[in-house]
Amino acid sequence: MHTLLDVLASGVHDAKNQLFIAESQIASAEARLGIELGEARYAIEAAASRLSRTLAAYHVLRKGATPAVTPVIVGDLCDEVVLDQKRHLASEGIVLTAACSVIDEWPLDRDLVTDMLNNAIQNAGRHAGSHVHLDARLNDGWLVLSVEDDGPGFATLPPPYGTGLMVAERLAGLHVRRGRQGSLQLRNGAGLGGARFELRLP
Amino acid sequence: MSLYVQKRFLVIDDQPQAREALRTIAQTIGAFAVEFASNYQDALYRIRNNTPDVILCDYVLGDGRSGQQLLEELRRFNLLPDECIFMMVTGEQSYEQVVSAVELVPDDYIIKPFSPDKLILRLDRIMAKKEFFKDYYREKRSQEYANALAILEQKQASEAGRSYRFEILRQQAEVKLISGDAEGAETAYRAILDNYEFPWARAGVARSLHRQNKLSEARAEIERVVADTPQFFDAADLKANICMAQGEAEEAQRVLDEVAQKTPRNYQRKRLLAEAATLNGDADTARNVLADVIANDTMPGAVTPADRLALARSQVDAKDLVSAEKTLVGLKESEVQNLDLDAQASYAALLAISSPGRGKPRFAGLRPALMSAELSAASRLDVLRSALNLGDHELADHQAEALLEGEEAKKSFGAMRKHYALHGREMDFRNIQKQVALKRIRHDTPSS
Repeated sequence: MHTLLDVLASGVHDAKNQLFIAESQIASAEARLGIELGEARYAIEAAASRLSRTLAAYHVLRKGATPAVTPVIVGDLCDEVVLDQKRHLASEGIVLTAACSVIDEWPLDRDLVTDMLNNAIQNAGRHAGSHVHLDARLNDGWLVLSVEDDGPGFATLPPPYGTGLMVAERLAGLHVRRGRQGSLQLRNGAGLGGARFELRLP
Repeated sequence: MSLYVQKRFLVIDDQPQAREALRTIAQTIGAFAVEFASNYQDALYRIRNNTPDVILCDYVLGDGRSGQQLLEELRRFNLLPDECIFMMVTGEQSYEQVVSAVELVPDDYIIKPFSPDKLILRLDRIMAKKEFFKDYYREKRSQEYANALAILEQKQASEAGRSYRFEILRQQAEVKLISGDAEGAETAYRAILDNYEFPWARAGVARSLHRQNKLSEARAEIERVVADTPQFFDAADLKANICMAQGEAEEAQRVLDEVAQKTPRNYQRKRLLAEAATLNGDADTARNVLADVIANDTMPGAVTPADRLALARSQVDAKDLVSAEKTLVGLKESEVQNLDLDAQASYAALLAISSPGRGKPRFAGLRPALMSAELSAASRLDVLRSALNLGDHELADHQAEALLEGEEAKKSFGAMRKHYALHGREMDFRNIQKQVALKRIRHDTPSS
């Protein structure tokens, strides 16, 4: 079985394994030498996410994608996104805050949603003044995950879609539950005054 | 970090560099004792002999094996205590699809590359979850199912339980199913489906319906799962079991053959394939598959006398009586003495066919028991064919009647009819069928 997808998936798989070897060696050097190489590890993980997102983009463009939905503790998911991004943003002088008021386990694709939020925070970080905020709450039976910044906001609405936003929109739509379908909303002038990325999942 | 200093880690990966990377990460979070396993057998051996606290297992193990298969085998042989953490490590996005579909999942999985901090976060959570369910696990393990369910109910009502609401429902369903409350299990699985269409919950509904012998309903449910999630191999096994119960051995064999080709080293599946082939009259396939199982299922204690009986059965089916005799005689007398009545009945019946000199006296000795005891459908079929062979009509007809009255009537019907036809007794078989049907009508109609 050697479809184009198999070739791509196996390439991404091997590359991520190599990246993991690099990251483990950096982590080991940090521990051994008492130094901080968080930015190097961040670059490695960002490269791996970019590879995964490329594969995800190929999936959704071929219309063959199905989300891998499992019950997820939303607070845990937010913690992981903060862990992935906080230190890097701090190095750029930006504070990342997070608030999660969702207690119930929620059915969603943990890895895709984590990647979407990571990507949204990376985008927000590029335009923020000094603050990016991640928020998770329930609204009328929807799980609403949002990322806001205090930058100038999107120059045009809708903004031009790169791979990240295109994948995010398609994958949000693949989350379907009780006849409701997930969606992505982008707007300006929310709480922090800048851009707002909002993922609504049923 | 100090939390993991005293934990014993086992890293399972067939690639040396990846293994080293996992060890490095484990050491970075403080782990002092990190063992390696480079392949499937090695991993099993180490886990059996000295269960680690934390297992980090790569999904791809090489040699046609996967971490998922290892996990299934460990659960099957009860080698994973509840306290032990099993974490799948994967660079493959495809494993997410497996985890979202199947019933048997690891404590968690983590995608490469990941930082030591992320591993700690994940392990901490698993420990918190195990702590939350600790009292429940204890009751479940000691088979105190009523207590286990009562504990789950308390947890469900608690604030902390909201973070585990699906897991609680899932555990409720599983406990109900193992404790024999198939109807309750069905209700619990449907409650999960009301929330989200999880393939494993839909399969749970099918399993519960199968236990209630509602075969066409069970079939309809499992067909949905198999069509939507082809990566959910256990669903195919369940479909095959339901097909067999419905008397559709041919379809069962087709489904299993397809999946077995994708999982060539899953010997439980191969056993099931052999059963379907046997019922389907495909003795050659059954014989080859069972020979493969007996030669290659290297898990200690995995190959049982039941496998040898199944092989002998397929050899008898293939009219290879010499090999059948060899297979049966290969079982030690002490082993045979320790078999349960079902297996003893099959042993004596198959031996009486393949080696009349040795088998007939043994079979005759068991006859009084065979006329009165409850037996499994497979053993009844063996006894039936042996009795037909020996011209013992009374014994054969008794088994036929019991089979037709039992819950597995459809499953064994084709084979029964074939054996009666072989001995020119089609009419007699039809008469037994009629009597059983009449008895059922009389039983169902209130007497006037």
